[in-house]
Formats: sequence, structure tokens, C-alpha cells
Amino acid sequence: MGTPVSPDPTPDGIPATTTVTAAAAAATTVTAPAAAPGPVAGPAAERPPTGHDGRYLGRRRLYLRRFWRNRTAVAGVAILLLLVLFSAFGQLLTPYHFSDTDFSALTQAPGTEHLFGTNQGGNDVYASAAHGLQRSLVIAVSVSVLTVAVSAVVGAGAAYLGGRTEKATLALIHFLLIVPSFLVLALVSHKLAGDWRVLVLVLTVFGWMSTARVVWSVSTSLRERDYVLAAEFMGVHPLRIVLRHIVPNLGSLLIVNLTLGVVSTVLSESALSFLGFGVQTPDVSLGTMLADGAGTITSAPWLFAFPAALTVLLTVSMTFVGDGLRDALDPTSTTGAAGGRR
Amino acid sequence: MLRYVTRRAAGWFLVIAVATNATYFLASSFLDPRSNFKELRPVRTDEQVSRALAPYNLDPHEPLLHRWWDWLSGVVLRFDWGRSPVGVEVNGEIGHRSLVSAQLVIGATLLSVVVGVALAVHTASRQYGWRDRAAQALSMALFNVPVSVAALALVLLAIRLNEQAGWHFLYVAGERSPDVEGFWATLGDRAAHLVLPTLTLTLTGYVGHHLTQRSLLLDVIGSDFVRTARATGLTRAQAIRRHALRTALIPTAQSVAFSIPAVFTGAVLTETVFGWNGMGQYFVQTINKNDVHGTVATAAFAAALTAIGAILADITTVLLDPRVRVS
Amino acid sequence: MTLAPARPTGPENPGPGPERPGPENPGPGSGPGPARPAPVLSVRDLRVSFPSEQGPVQAVRGVDFDLLPGRTLGIVGESGSGKSATALALMGLLPPAAHLEGRILLGGRDLAAMDDTRLARIRGKDIGMVFQDPMSALTPVLSVGRLLSQALRVHQDLSRKDAWEQAVQLLDLVGIPDPRERAKAFPHEFSGGMRQRVVIALAIANKPSVLVADEPTTALDVTVQAQILEVLRLAQRESGAALVLITHDLGVVAGHADDVAVMYAGRIVEHAGVDELFARPTMPYTARLLAAVPTAGSGVQRPLLPIAGEPPSPVALPAGCAFAPRCAVARDVCRTTEPDLTAPAGRPGRVACHRAQEIADGTLDPAGPAGSAVALTPDRAAARRTPGEVVLRVEDLVKTFPVTRGALLKRRTGTLHAVNGVGFEVRAGETLALVGESGSGKTTTLREVLRLRAPEGGRIEVAGTDVATLRSAAQVRELRSEVQIVLQDPTDALDPRLTVFDLLAEPLRAAGADRTAVRSRIPRLLDLVGLDRAVGDRFPAALSGGQRQRVGIARALAREPRLLVLDEPLSALDVSVQAEIVNLLVRLKRELALAYLVVAHDLAVVRYFSDRIAVMYLGHIVESGATEEIFARPRHPYTRALLSAVPLPDPQRERRRERIVLRGEQPSAARLPAGCVFVDRCPLHREADESVRTRCRTERPSTVGAPDGSDHRYACHAL
Repeated sequence: MGTPVSPDPTPDGIPATTTVTAAAAAATTVTAPAAAPGPVAGPAAERPPTGHDGRYLGRRRLYLRRFWRNRTAVAGVAILLLLVLFSAFGQLLTPYHFSDTDFSALTQAPGTEHLFGTNQGGNDVYASAAHGLQRSLVIAVSVSVLTVAVSAVVGAGAAYLGGRTEKATLALIHFLLIVPSFLVLALVSHKLAGDWRVLVLVLTVFGWMSTARVVWSVSTSLRERDYVLAAEFMGVHPLRIVLRHIVPNLGSLLIVNLTLGVVSTVLSESALSFLGFGVQTPDVSLGTMLADGAGTITSAPWLFAFPAALTVLLTVSMTFVGDGLRDALDPTSTTGAAGGRR
Repeated sequence: MLRYVTRRAAGWFLVIAVATNATYFLASSFLDPRSNFKELRPVRTDEQVSRALAPYNLDPHEPLLHRWWDWLSGVVLRFDWGRSPVGVEVNGEIGHRSLVSAQLVIGATLLSVVVGVALAVHTASRQYGWRDRAAQALSMALFNVPVSVAALALVLLAIRLNEQAGWHFLYVAGERSPDVEGFWATLGDRAAHLVLPTLTLTLTGYVGHHLTQRSLLLDVIGSDFVRTARATGLTRAQAIRRHALRTALIPTAQSVAFSIPAVFTGAVLTETVFGWNGMGQYFVQTINKNDVHGTVATAAFAAALTAIGAILADITTVLLDPRVRVS
Repeated sequence: MTLAPARPTGPENPGPGPERPGPENPGPGSGPGPARPAPVLSVRDLRVSFPSEQGPVQAVRGVDFDLLPGRTLGIVGESGSGKSATALALMGLLPPAAHLEGRILLGGRDLAAMDDTRLARIRGKDIGMVFQDPMSALTPVLSVGRLLSQALRVHQDLSRKDAWEQAVQLLDLVGIPDPRERAKAFPHEFSGGMRQRVVIALAIANKPSVLVADEPTTALDVTVQAQILEVLRLAQRESGAALVLITHDLGVVAGHADDVAVMYAGRIVEHAGVDELFARPTMPYTARLLAAVPTAGSGVQRPLLPIAGEPPSPVALPAGCAFAPRCAVARDVCRTTEPDLTAPAGRPGRVACHRAQEIADGTLDPAGPAGSAVALTPDRAAARRTPGEVVLRVEDLVKTFPVTRGALLKRRTGTLHAVNGVGFEVRAGETLALVGESGSGKTTTLREVLRLRAPEGGRIEVAGTDVATLRSAAQVRELRSEVQIVLQDPTDALDPRLTVFDLLAEPLRAAGADRTAVRSRIPRLLDLVGLDRAVGDRFPAALSGGQRQRVGIARALAREPRLLVLDEPLSALDVSVQAEIVNLLVRLKRELALAYLVVAHDLAVVRYFSDRIAVMYLGHIVESGATEEIFARPRHPYTRALLSAVPLPDPQRERRRERIVLRGEQPSAARLPAGCVFVDRCPLHREADESVRTRCRTERPSTVGAPDGSDHRYACHAL
């Protein structure tokens, strides 16, 4: 049997680029297509310094310069940095270890002794939060990075190579997409539970498809671009074309998916934990804390509030950073011209 | 058109078959029914365990391919999905449960699409207006709320409302009341129980459709043909409804099928919170009890739901897009 | 009706001009007497700006004009001149972010002050619009009959059936064959030309008094353009509407407008009757534009004079006259004060120029001293003196594509004969132009050459090597350095995420050049194409169109090829920039002894830098020969039709000349006729006697040389 029948999302004639996932759409809201007719759209003159000695500024420095000019992006970086610092060193500021149980203080509200209070088992919420954030951050970021890397290479590669490779890859993606991956996740993580590294692996293996599909559909339009054609006629190696011309031009898409991947990983992980298939005690993640706190939301709101606040800060800062990166990387971004959100 | 849909449906059936069989092998290798006997006292010997499991086609000493063949012929010939490690028939378990869950998943999916698309149309015609921003902010907030939290919040709210009203009109537990009789009464009772879980899934599920449809619409609103439509005398809002929406709906129709697995995941959590005897809860139980056949049946059910969604999506696409009809 | 500024309305100065010509072609709405009819549309001080990161972009900066009933006003300008923004402002279709000022008076109502709901009642009913790109202008999911009847029912109280009936009549009016059947078809089942007819039908459905056509033929092939312009004229006559014809093509304006307004940097800089404007341009920009535009006319060839510099960016307009930095006769005052649009004494029309009076009096040549710009004359003679070695030889090239049906299981249902037995050679220092409309196989031919693989049929020899003999990827890579390409749209051909330095480094790195070699080569490449070295730091988005095309050329030259393949190298550029690039290409060819293979649809442009021309139709070369020979003595009926369809920027000749309007459009190459491929549209075939007609139908004509013994060759039975 050749290819399993794929739920071809783009019947003949419909531009494939319009298939955007919810995730991608969530953050591409700024790039509204209100391109002005007639006059040049987009920032025209980005004048580099004039005096010239034959050495050229790398594009990375130009990107960086644009990024630092964006205030929300800088705020995002600041929050993210604080969160990272908290997750790394927060535990040093408290005498309690997250797994210590203080039987003299069960379900205690926040106070001087326990800064964020304690839970039903007498664990210090501050220490747990610091550790949980670290755990979630590590899981979410590594899953997100791995997922995006896999989907970028698979999606762009399939689109560029075309032919049978493309068909087979799409068939696989569509197959994995409709298989209730959550069930498989639960199955596998139930068996191998406890080790967060296994969780990272499993979440990656079953998490790359939807991004890969979006990447593929955008890449198919990039594949037709003249600059890809030009590179081919210059004799540039196919792998180099994918890595240098297709993947970077997916940049904003990948960044959006990277930031939202972090959010969705935190959500997946918390769903698994809620059902008892995720990170297992004694280990703690934001997901398990959310799940624990959700049960006592009326009687002990702090158990929910602190991990929830950390989660929101994490997702919001990631979004800010992603937005800023997109604006810096996308020279034709119309954020300003579209009268965007200011 | 009928040929097109039949062909697609056949394809989907194939996908379900492959997915179900793959799950069988996955479940067989990850779930070990023998471990159910570990806690039992007196300690059973390996042989005793095998003997206990053999009638249910779960004996690990039997080669996997043999077990698979037996299971498969049972499903194909008698639609018998096998038994649990303690001998309970899977068919008996899933009959009622699958109906309950299907109601929930399909209802929530339809509502999500309707709410999401409607909101998208409303906000896209007022891009950057306050309503657009508010809806955007709300959707982004809901996007970050785990299903379990949303469900719990609704439970709390419902309890509060019930107290305020002094009338128990919102049901927060179970999928039906035990003592209702008569057709209309049963129907009403079921519907009343459906409200909160469906609401939970809709609230967390519509976001994707809203944001995707909004950006699709904004793409289309900027396109030449919408401008042409306005040039013939339509207002912006009319042009969006009559020309942009129909075109922008095509990718959404296609994406609904792919959203169903996520809705199903949500259903698992929702059923757990609301204490429903549905497929989701069954799934959690079967995994915890190392019930290979039950797990596989749940997977098949989820795949079938997705396929139904996909076929509906195909039909919708054909109705919306003349280009598919012609080719 | 009172109009605020008490200034002359319309282009003609109502003052007693002795040489003022009366309207040559009074429209059906205007009376025969001297009394001027009231304008249907009056635009006063129209200003449009868009917000941007650098502050507001002033797209339109104070435009005034009057449109008289039944007349055609041509608005000409290059990209960024504000002509499209003006059109959208008239229709009330500007994007929400745009800021609009001024007054647009239509039938006593000010459109600029209306909201969308009130405007919608006027759009389509009193003012209709024809858009540029017919491929995207029609809603893909609705049938054209439904689109039309919907447009009718918006403004008229019609039953569905009556509206459909009228829709069918409209389709018939705009020349759609079998309109009753075709009304049920969807836009994707129509060709580009047919879709544009539908768009025109939509625009005139409710008989508006004003039609706005924004580049209505730019996206179409030249033979189809002629048809569409005819339909537009017919539609105008049927509805009695006044037409605002917006275009960059001076030829279209010359043939179809009564009055012309030239726009530059958001303002009208000259406004006059069409004969007056073309015969005696007053604004230096108009004069230079007319001197820069290439002509395909068979008259005497004149040199192309490029305008130095590029149109200003609308975010960074110079103080004073926007054209001053490029103007040969600018004075100090031009650089500080922006001139008003006024009527110089003794001339009809209005001009925005400080030196207009001197020019009008004939004491100043608006183009400036002719020696200031390098006149571009073809150095064909030089090329003939040194016939270089053959760099590219193509023999009997065949390329087919399978035609498939079905989304899932692709069944092959036919074969598309994209290229069928094409042969030619290109020598060092020589330019061969492959000319034809879209679908003629010229681009496929070029791609086959660039692929450097054994072709499906025939032979390709590059720099003496038969590409079929290349065995390894390394050999292909080596031969690649001999052939490079310059693509059509420089915006799309340059990866937007790489700086110019990285773009130019890419071919060098692909060839294995090391860091220092790349570093030293790139500044020299930039010098070679006349770009500032500082450009290396920029991203393509920060460059102008002309600069980008220079980067594209520099990149192609990076590996010192012997053959440069140019795919429509000028069609994405503005007229005033085209001449510069032509200039550059000619200079590079001379300096580097390059061979050019050019693919183009525009005969006029090709004339200025090709030595030989090969005309393609449906995958066949129907005629080839020396450039001037083809222009002077075209033989093949298709070549003749093609030449006659190119609009000339000269209203007198444009009106006088005999035009061969071909029927229909180039058919699909999936169903080639058994005989001559041109037979279905051939005017000679229709008039030929029976024996020739049979041969045309059954036998594919072979290529024969002209009787004069030159290399002028053509394939036709009827000659």
C-alpha cells in the first residue's frame, strides 16, 4: 500500500498558505494585511552608518538593533529573565526544600514563615513554585525547541523536495494528527512516568505534526519564490537552500510557534498531570501545582494563585519576546503601517 | 460530488483501521496486565497469571501476532472488541459511554466552530476596534487556561448560581439523573446535564477557530475580490459576509477535523471533573487497569469521531468551493 | 454648483489661447457648441496619507481635476506617484488606516465626507471601477452570473430572474461568447482576458456616470490588452460614462485619453489635452518621461534618454519641487519652493514648474541640454563587427508537461507541448530576445537552458559543451558558472532576509570561494553595476526597484559567466528606471563580452538592446531575424499583429495607424492544432485561398529564409 489516504487539507486551487493553525493565528494578529496601495509599504530606509571600509555589518547585528528598539519585547525579555533567575536561584532564598514536609504547617496561608504558604502535605509553596517553574520551563522550552526544529526541517524539507518524499511525509503527518495523540501520550508516559526527560521526548515525538503541517504549507509557497529559483540556478546545494532560504523565511512563523509551543506544552503537561499521567510525585512542575491547587481553589486559593501567576507571566513574556523577534526579523512587517496596536 | 465524498470516506476508514491496529501494538507493549496481579496476596505464579489472562486473549506467553489476529478477527467478524483483564466485555462498557461522549464532543465542536467563526466575522469587520481588542484579549486569556481549571471554575460558578437561585438547575455531576422516566423528561434531563461540560469545552475550544478565522478573514478582506465587491456597491460588512466569509471558511472547514482530537482530550478532562461515565473516563480507567482492549477501543472511538468530522468537513468544502466540484 | 477655488476647471485654459485646439473627440455627452458642459466629477485638493513607522506617507498631495461627461482623463504616473491611491480615494475604497482630505464632488455630493454606508449607495451606481488584476478581482466561489446579478440587485429592485437575464446581456455586451451558458461558470474557468471583461461588466452594470479604470490592462498580454481597451471603449460608449484611465503606459494613454494628467510624487505636475501634452510637453518630467519611453513603432528609432536618479520615496520627499533632484533645468528656487499647478500664458493646460513660462515660450528645452545624459543608441554595429564564438546553441528543443486530473490519484489526461522544436544560437557579445505572450513557451525554453541537464528532446550546447554529456553534479556545477540568470521581479528574486553582501556572496560561496575572495570581490561587483559600496549593508527592502535589479545583475555576474539569461529584466521597473538598466546591460555586454538571452513580452523594450529577435507562439519560433529587420519588415502575421498591438506613445500615429486586433487568446498548448499553431487566430488564413487554408489546417509550416538572403526566417504557408 503506497500512501494512506491523507486528509488533504488543501483541495486543488485553494492557496495552501491560508491554512494557519490556531496557535499561529493567535500571535500573528499584528501582521494585519492593510498594505497601503501606491506608496511603498513597510519600513523603507534603514540607514546603516555611512563611513565604509569594505567590512559589512552582519545581519544579526541589524536584527538585534531593531529588537532592542522594541519596548514590549525588552519588557518580555526582562520578565523572562527574572523568571529564569527565580527558577534557578529561588530555592537558595528559602530554608525549605520543595520535597520537605512541615507537619506543623499544613495548608497554611502565605506568611512570614512560609512566604507563599504550604499545601496539604506541608510542602513549602515558594520552594515548590521555584522548582516547579524550573521543571516546567525546562520541559516546555526543550519540547518547544525540539518540536520546532523537527517540524521546520521536516515541513520545509518535504515542501522543497516535493514528489514522493512530500507525499509520504504529509501522509504520515495527517495520520499522526488524527490519531488521538493524547491517548498515546498517556499510554507511554504512564508506563515511563516520573522521568521528565522521557516526558520531553514523548511530548516532542507526538507534538511536531501540526507545526510541521503549517511549515509545509507556507514552505510550498516559498518554494515557488524567485529567490529560491535563483539559488538553484546558482548551484546552491538543496540542503543549503532549505536551511538558508526557506527556514529563515519561515522565521516569524517558527518563532510564533516556538513561543506558543511553550504555552501549549505547559498546558499539555498540566493536562497529563491532572489525570496522573505527567510529572509524578515527588517531582513537581507548574502543571502538577495547578492541578493540585485547582482542587482547593476555594479553601486554599494561594495553592492555585502562585503557580497560575507564574504560568501567566511565563506565557505573556514569551509572547512579548516572540512579537519583538518577529518584528526584528521581518523586514516587511507592517506593524506600524497598519496602524497596529500601540 | 457523491463519488468524491465516498472516496474520501473510504480513505478515512483506512486511516481508522491503521490507527486502531497501531494502537493495539502500542498498548500491548506498554500495558502489562500481569502487573495487576502483583499486589494480590497470595502471590500468583507466572503460570497462574497466564492461565487467568488466557481466556481474555491477554496471555503474554502467547505470541503478540497471534493475540492480535484473534483480536482483529473478533472485531471484524463479530464486532467484538474483546474483554478486560477481569473478563468484563468491552462492548458492554462502550455502548452507553460512546453515545454520551459523542454527544459531548460533537456538540462542543459544532458550538466552538459557530461561536469562533461568528466572533471572527464580528471582530474582523472591526479590526483594531475596542470590541476586536476585547475579544482578542478574552480569547488569548482563555487560550492560556487549562481545561481542568476552566471546568472547575464553572463548577464553582454553577454551585454559586444554584445557591443564589435556590433551584438546582445546573448539574455539576454525572451525565444523567438516575430516576427520570419518560422520553421528554429523559431528553430534558440529558440536555441539562450536557450544559456545563459542553460549555467548558466550547470555551476552551472556540479560541482556535476565532483566532484562525479572524486572521484568514483579514487576509481575504484585503484581497482584490472583496474590493471589487465593494466597488459594486456593497458596504464593507456586506462584502465580508457575502464574499470574504465564504472563501475564508474553506480552510476552517478543513481544519475542523484536526481539532477533534484536541476536543476529545478536553473531553477526557471534562468527564473526569464532572464525573461522567463517558469514554474519557473509561480511557483513564482502562490505562490504570492495564486494560489493552479497552484502551484500543477508546482509541478507535476517538479516531472514528475524527473521521466523522473529516467527512463532514469534506462535504462542507465541496458545498463551499466550486473548484473542488469541477475537478 | 459652486466650486471653491475660482480656478480654471479642466486642463484647457479658458483664456484666449490663439493656438488652443478644440476637443478632438467630443464625447457623446458633450454638446457640439462651445459651451463647456458641467463636469460630472470634480476633485479639489485631494490629499491621502497612510501612517507608517517613519511617519505619515503622503501618497496624494493636493490633486485637482474636473472630469467632463463622456470624456476620458488619463492619469499617468510611475509606481508611488499616487495614482492608485487617487483611484481608491475616488471610490471610497482606501484602507481604514488611510487619512483623506479634500473634496470629491460627484453629482453635487461630496464623496470624501461620506461614510461607508452612504458611499456604498453611490459605488457601482454612479461610479464604477475596473481593477488591475482580473485573476484575483472576482470572488472565486461565486459564478460570474451570480456576481453580476448581485451587483445589479444591490442598486436596482429586480427579481432574481430578471437580474440573471440582465447579467447575461451584460456578458454578451462585453464580448463573452455563449453568455447564457458561461454565466453559470466560475471565475477560474475563464481566461485572464475574459475575466477582465467580466470585471468591466460589473463596473458598468448599473450604468454609472463615471468609470475608474486602474491599470486595466497591465496584467494582460498585449494582444489581449488591445481587445480589452476596445471593450472599455465600447462600455464607455454604451453607458455614456466619463472615464478616468489610470496607467503607467504612455502608449495606452496616447490612444485612449482625451486629456492627460501626469502625476509625480503625489501631485499632478502637468495636465493638458492629449495631443498638446505629447507634442509639446512643458513639465521637464513629462518631457524626460517621453524621451525615456521605448517605442515599438516602425518609424525612425530615437535614442532612449534615461532620467537620472529614482522617484523619491513618499516618506522622504525633497523640499521644493519633488522632481528637482532629477531635473536638468532645475534652479535654486526649485529646490526650496514647490511650484503650483498653473497655466502658463500662451499654452493650454496646467503645469507645476517654476520655469514653465520659459518652456512655454520656447526659450528653454525642458529636457535640458541633450548631452547631459548618455544617449542610448544600440551598438548593434559593434556587435556585428566582432561575431564572437557561439556560447549557446539550442537545437530542436522539446519540452512537454503531463496534464493530470484528480486530486488524489493523478491520471494523465493529456500532454502540454510547452516547447516544440525550438532552435537558436547566441554568440558572445550578442543579444537574442525571445519574444512572445504568456504561454508561448519562452520561459520554459529559458528554464530548460538553465537546468543544464539533457533535455527531453533536442540538444543544448553551452560554451561548447553538450549538456547531455555532463555526468556528475560537479561537472554541472562547473558549467553553471558559465550561465547565470537575472530574474524578472527584483523584489522577489532577492531573499528579503539577506543583506546585499550576503546575496552577492551566495553564488561565490556556492562555487567554493573563501572568505577573503568573497570580501574582495563584492565591492568590485558593486562598482561594476554602479552601486555605492555602502549598499552592501542594506536589506533589499531598503533599496529602490532599480537598485534591486542592479543587485540582481551583480549577483548574476559574480561568477563571471559568459552567458547571461535575462527573464523579463525590465518589466517590473518604472519607465524612468528602465532606460538606466538597459543602459547598464548594454555597457556590461560590451565591457565583459557577454552573451545575453533575453525573454520578454514587450517588443518596444527589446528593440533597444537586442541584436536579434525570435518571436514565439505556442512553443514554436514563428519568426526570427535581426531586430531592425523584424521591426521594419515583419513577415509572420503573428509578429505583425503583435507589433500593431503595442500602443505607441504618440496620439497622432496611434489614432492613424492600422491595427490588427487578433481574435481570441492564445489557446492551451495541451491541444495543438495539427497544422499551423497560429491558424485559429490568423488573419491571413481567413483571407487565403482554399488550397493554402487546407495546408494551414493540416501541415505545420517549415521555417524558410526571407528572399533577401539574410537570416530573417519565418514559418507561414500564406506568405
